[in-house]
Amino acid sequence: MNLIADIKNFVNDPAKEILRRKKMLNKGTQLAWSILRILILLAIGYIIIYPLFYMIGTSIRSRQSYYDSARVWIPSSVSAGHNYTKALDFTSFFAGFKNTMVLEIIAGLIEVITCSIVAYGFARFKFKLKPLFTAGLFLTILVPEIMVIIPRMLTYSKMDILGIFGLLADLTNGAVDLRPNLIGSPLAFYLPSLFAMGLRSGILIYIYIQFFKGLPYELEEAAWVDGAGPVRTFVSIALPSSSVVFTTVTVFSIIWHWNDTFLAAMYVKSDYPLSVYLSRINATMVGAGYYPNNTDTQSILMAACFLFILPPLIFYMFMQRKFIESIDRVGITG
Amino acid sequence: MMKKKKYRSIEQLKSRYGYGFTAIWVIGFILFFGFPVIQSVFYSFADVSISATEGVVVSFVGLKNFNYLFNEHPDYTSWLTADMSSILYSLPIILLVSLVLAILLNQKFKGRIIFRAVYFVPVIIASGAVLKLMFQTTSEELTSAGVSTAITGSMFSIEDIVGWLNIPDKIAQILKNIINNIFDLLWSCGIQTVLFIAGLQSIPATLYEASKVEGATKWEEFWFITFPSLGSVTLLVSVYTMVDAFTNTRNTVIDKAYTMINSGNYDETSAMLWVYFVGVGLVMGFVLFLYNRFLLKRWQ
Repeated sequence: MNLIADIKNFVNDPAKEILRRKKMLNKGTQLAWSILRILILLAIGYIIIYPLFYMIGTSIRSRQSYYDSARVWIPSSVSAGHNYTKALDFTSFFAGFKNTMVLEIIAGLIEVITCSIVAYGFARFKFKLKPLFTAGLFLTILVPEIMVIIPRMLTYSKMDILGIFGLLADLTNGAVDLRPNLIGSPLAFYLPSLFAMGLRSGILIYIYIQFFKGLPYELEEAAWVDGAGPVRTFVSIALPSSSVVFTTVTVFSIIWHWNDTFLAAMYVKSDYPLSVYLSRINATMVGAGYYPNNTDTQSILMAACFLFILPPLIFYMFMQRKFIESIDRVGITG
Repeated sequence: MMKKKKYRSIEQLKSRYGYGFTAIWVIGFILFFGFPVIQSVFYSFADVSISATEGVVVSFVGLKNFNYLFNEHPDYTSWLTADMSSILYSLPIILLVSLVLAILLNQKFKGRIIFRAVYFVPVIIASGAVLKLMFQTTSEELTSAGVSTAITGSMFSIEDIVGWLNIPDKIAQILKNIINNIFDLLWSCGIQTVLFIAGLQSIPATLYEASKVEGATKWEEFWFITFPSLGSVTLLVSVYTMVDAFTNTRNTVIDKAYTMINSGNYDETSAMLWVYFVGVGLVMGFVLFLYNRFLLKRWQ
C-alpha cells in the first residue's frame, strides 16, 4: 500500500519525491551520528569520571572489606568516619586550608587583577617597544617556573630591589641591613602576582589580550572623545563588559594556585598550604605507622585526595554554569 | 600643519599610556624573570653554597656540574630520554583527543551541559599532588593490569592483541604505555579542550553558512573551515601541553630536581634543569618545525 503511494507520489512530482527521500536519508545519518556521538562521549566520560568514583568508593571502604573483590563501587562495609578523620589528621586539613587561603588564593586574586591591567595595555595601545614586550611575554609562557625558582628563592632570602639595599648594607659594613627575609612570609607569594609575574601569569595575560582585542573599540573611542582618561576608560568601559573573561581567568588562577605544590614548597618552610601536606602524606603516614600494605592505608589516601579536591569541586559547582558559558564567549584566536 | 602636530601628540600620549599600563609587568619581568634566568644560568656553571654570615656564595667552576651529570651521575641520561620520549607520544594523542572532545562538546544536543560539566572536572582536579597519589600508589588498581581489564573487560588483553597482530616490540611498548596511561592522558586534556572550545567559538558562523549554501559536506566543513581556523589555537594548545607536561612533577627529572633543591643542592640542580630545558627546547623546536612544515602550509 505504502509502496504504491510512493510510486504515485513519484510519478506525480518526481523532484519533490527525490528531495523528500534525500531528507529522510539525511535524518538517518543524523540519527546515527547523534547516537555515535553519545556513545563516544559516554565512553570517554566513563574513563574521565572513573578515577573520581574509585576515589570516593575506596575512601569509604572499611578494613574488613578491603580485599572483597566482588564489590567495586560500593564496599560491603563502610567506615567513612575512621578513614576521613585519619585523613583530616594526616593532611592537617584545617591549618593547611587556612594557609592555602592566605598564601595562594589571595595571590591568585591579585594576579587576576594585575594581569588584566597589563593585558589592557598590550591589547589597546601601540608603542615602540611592544614587539619586544610581546616576545618577553611569550618567553615567560615558554620558560617553566622551575627554571627561575632557585635564584628567586635565594633572592627572597635577602630581598633586594636592584641592589639598592645591598649597596646600603655594604656602605655601612652591614650595620644597616634593610633586606628582609621573605621566605615564609605571604609577600613571597604576593609580590610576583603584584607585578603580573605570578603562577602562569603569561597564559592569563594572553587570554585577557585575546579577549580585549575582540571588544568593540568604538565604545572606548567615545569615552576618549568625552574626555575620559585611560584609567577611567579601562575601569568604567572595558572592565564592565569583560565579566566573561574574568570568570575564565579567575577559575584558572584559583584552581592553579590551589593545586600548586611547587612554589609553596619552595617559598614556605613551615605552615604549608594544603597541597604540600597532601604531597607529603605518604611520608607522614609511614611516620605514624601506616605502611603502604596496611589494609586501610589506601582508603585513607583516597579520603585525603577527596578532601583535597572537595573545595575546588564545590567552587566549580557554583561557577560551573558561568564558566562553561564564558568559555563559549572568550573566543581565543591567533 | 597644526592638525598634524596635534595628531602626532595624541599618538605619543597613547604610547605613553601603553607604557603606563605595562609598566608593572616590565618591572616584574626584570625582577622575577630576567634576573633569575641569568642568575640560574650562572649558577649552573658555578659552585653555590649558603653561609650564615655572607649569604649566597657563588664561585665559578666551569663545566664541572655538567661533567658530573653526564659522566658520573648514574641515571641522569636515562631519566632525560624517558621524559622526552613520553611527551613525544603523548602530545599528538592529547591534541587529537582534546580537539575531538572540543568539537563534540561544541555541538548542540540534549544533555550537553551535563557532559560539559563532567568533562571539565579534570581541569579542576588534575593537580600534581592528587594525580601522583592516584596513579603511583594505586598501581595495581588503576594502571597496567587494572586499566586493560577495565576497558576491554576480561575478554582479551593487550598482550594478546599485540601477539595476534605481530606488532614490532618497540611500537607494542608504546601502545601498552598509552593504554596504561589512558587516565593520565585523558585527565591532561581538560584545559586543552577548554582552549579549543574557545577557539571554535571564535570562528565566524557566516563561514559555515556560506559553505552550507555551497553544499559542502560535514567532512569538508571540518577540513576547510574548522581545521584551518584553529591554526593558532592549536599552536597555543601544543605549547601549553608541552610546557605543562615537561614541568609536571611526575617527570623524573623534575621530581629529582625538587628534592635536590630542598636539600640545598642549588648548583647541580641548576645545571640539571638547564640541560633538561635545552632538551625540551629542542623537542619543542622540532615539533614547531613539523607544525610549520606540514600544517601551516596546508592552512595557507
